[in-house]
Amino acid sequence: MSDFLTSRLDFLRATQNADGGWGFFPGKQSWLEPTAYALIALHTDPSSRPSFERGWNLMRSWQMPDGSWKPCAAVQEPHWTTALCVTLHELRGVYDQPFQRGVGWLVGTSGIENGLRFRFAHFLRPSVVELDPSFKAWPWRPGNASWIEPTAHALVALKKARNAGTNPRIEERIRMGEKMILDRRCGDGGWNYGNRKVLGTDLPSYPETTALALLGLAGNPALNLAAPLAVAQRYLRETRSPLAKALLGVSLRSYSITAAPSELLAGKDTLINALEIIGASGALA
Amino acid sequence: MRRRQFLQAGIAGAGAAQFGCSSQESLAAGPPGQSAVAILKATSYSADLPALLRRGAQLCGLGAKGKRVLLKPNLVEFASNAAINTHVAVIAAAVELFHSLGAAEVLIGEGPGHRRDTIALAEEAEYRRGIAQFDSLFVDLNRDDVSPLRGFADLPEIYLPNTALKADLIVSLAKMKTHHWAGATLSMKNFFGIVPGSVYGWPKNQLHQIGIDRSIAELHRVLPRSFAIVDGIVGMEGNGPIQGDPKSVGVLVMGSDLISVDATCCRIMGIDPERVEYIRITAERGHAHPGRIDQRGESIQSVQTKFALIDALKNVRLA
Repeated sequence: MSDFLTSRLDFLRATQNADGGWGFFPGKQSWLEPTAYALIALHTDPSSRPSFERGWNLMRSWQMPDGSWKPCAAVQEPHWTTALCVTLHELRGVYDQPFQRGVGWLVGTSGIENGLRFRFAHFLRPSVVELDPSFKAWPWRPGNASWIEPTAHALVALKKARNAGTNPRIEERIRMGEKMILDRRCGDGGWNYGNRKVLGTDLPSYPETTALALLGLAGNPALNLAAPLAVAQRYLRETRSPLAKALLGVSLRSYSITAAPSELLAGKDTLINALEIIGASGALA
Repeated sequence: MRRRQFLQAGIAGAGAAQFGCSSQESLAAGPPGQSAVAILKATSYSADLPALLRRGAQLCGLGAKGKRVLLKPNLVEFASNAAINTHVAVIAAAVELFHSLGAAEVLIGEGPGHRRDTIALAEEAEYRRGIAQFDSLFVDLNRDDVSPLRGFADLPEIYLPNTALKADLIVSLAKMKTHHWAGATLSMKNFFGIVPGSVYGWPKNQLHQIGIDRSIAELHRVLPRSFAIVDGIVGMEGNGPIQGDPKSVGVLVMGSDLISVDATCCRIMGIDPERVEYIRITAERGHAHPGRIDQRGESIQSVQTKFALIDALKNVRLA
């Protein structure tokens, strides 16, 4: 194992909280997002097994009665990170009742664009935000609109869940989610958070959201993604954001493109350390 | 529900919550008394900003002895050559100011609405290079520990960063910019960056869903221990808050009544605060009427610089 990976694994094992989770930074309260990424990073490392089990148990304890997961102990609300938990179950090969309820929540959750109020308002003023409201995708939290990042994570989870043959609506949600991502692509070829044009003005894409959009679209051979993949590879060379670079590494690995280890400092950021391991190991590819 | 409100609520989900601004309705008088607002001329970022801020603090009667102070700049995008973010020199001067006023603690916190990598944003904006010990002072409010606060618009609670909730004084270090939905983004709108992305996402779509104006008013209500320093040395006109053009005004505007500060900034920008919805709906809690603002330092007339407005905002132009 390279020094690059060893140092990041050591960081994750050393910064795990007493409750089994991870904060966004060492010593901070546990959150589901860094915990899920840390667990995805650790799940194939035999020497991290005790650490993984403690984190897994905390993650499982945070599932809500409706099948969703809450983002941390302090926040009692369904959250987009449910997708990461479903993916984690699939990576571990656990297809039990909590998994099924998580898939059910994802399949049953969508952004408000499909609602009558939004569609009518969009019909009256289509140039305010250019988008096709007919595509059902995923919000950060229920009751909000759909955005690229939660949609990408939901697609990763459901594409893996289709192998478990659990929910007849999965295929339709995957198809619509992919269409939404393609519809929101910016004029420069990449993606931002999910608005390509506002008030008639083109908005630029970002490296991190371009990475996530491509991650969500991965695994569909019918899509021609050569142009956005070229954008992502350019971003990989140019970005000075360690987080964006780590996400690009994870995403491009899904297209059999291996990024060189980042020369940018991961520092004490749990997400970056975990994502760099995931990118190097291909755990989400 | 009026047609405009219906449209706002409808498309809010995609981040577009406003269509122009308020119809002309008279402002509430607000509480008794007046609010002091200081306008200071600062021709460039190489001016003696610490001295200017000290003068502004004196003019406003600002005290911070023993207080835990959180400085909240407006850090939005990677664009070192655009006037999007609060300039690093203003933040560095504010750190110096509050230390000189005897603050027990001075932290800097921000939670950008679109970008995940806050530290990389700070690097790009030269905050890390321009502010001594930046890494030990800075808190990424998007990823801070959070606690619930009961009641926020129609929500049973809002989750806010503990760093903000524990602060004795939150200083809005805002940028003077037009805003294509809200009319202008100034000290009150700047508080959107306090709402944590870890709960509400990137963008913080729940605030759009509630309505931008109402969310601004609610944040102002739940975060009352505040002070404003608006960086108008170079602001942004046109299609703000991100894609507009730099506009040199050469001012800093300061005060403890954020409504008065924002109303003053609007008048400097050639915007009628009575037509800016969030100022109108918060006016009963502060002073937006010119007669109730104790203008100190420079006069509005001496620094007034008409900002270009997009067509959708032509109705907010000050007559």
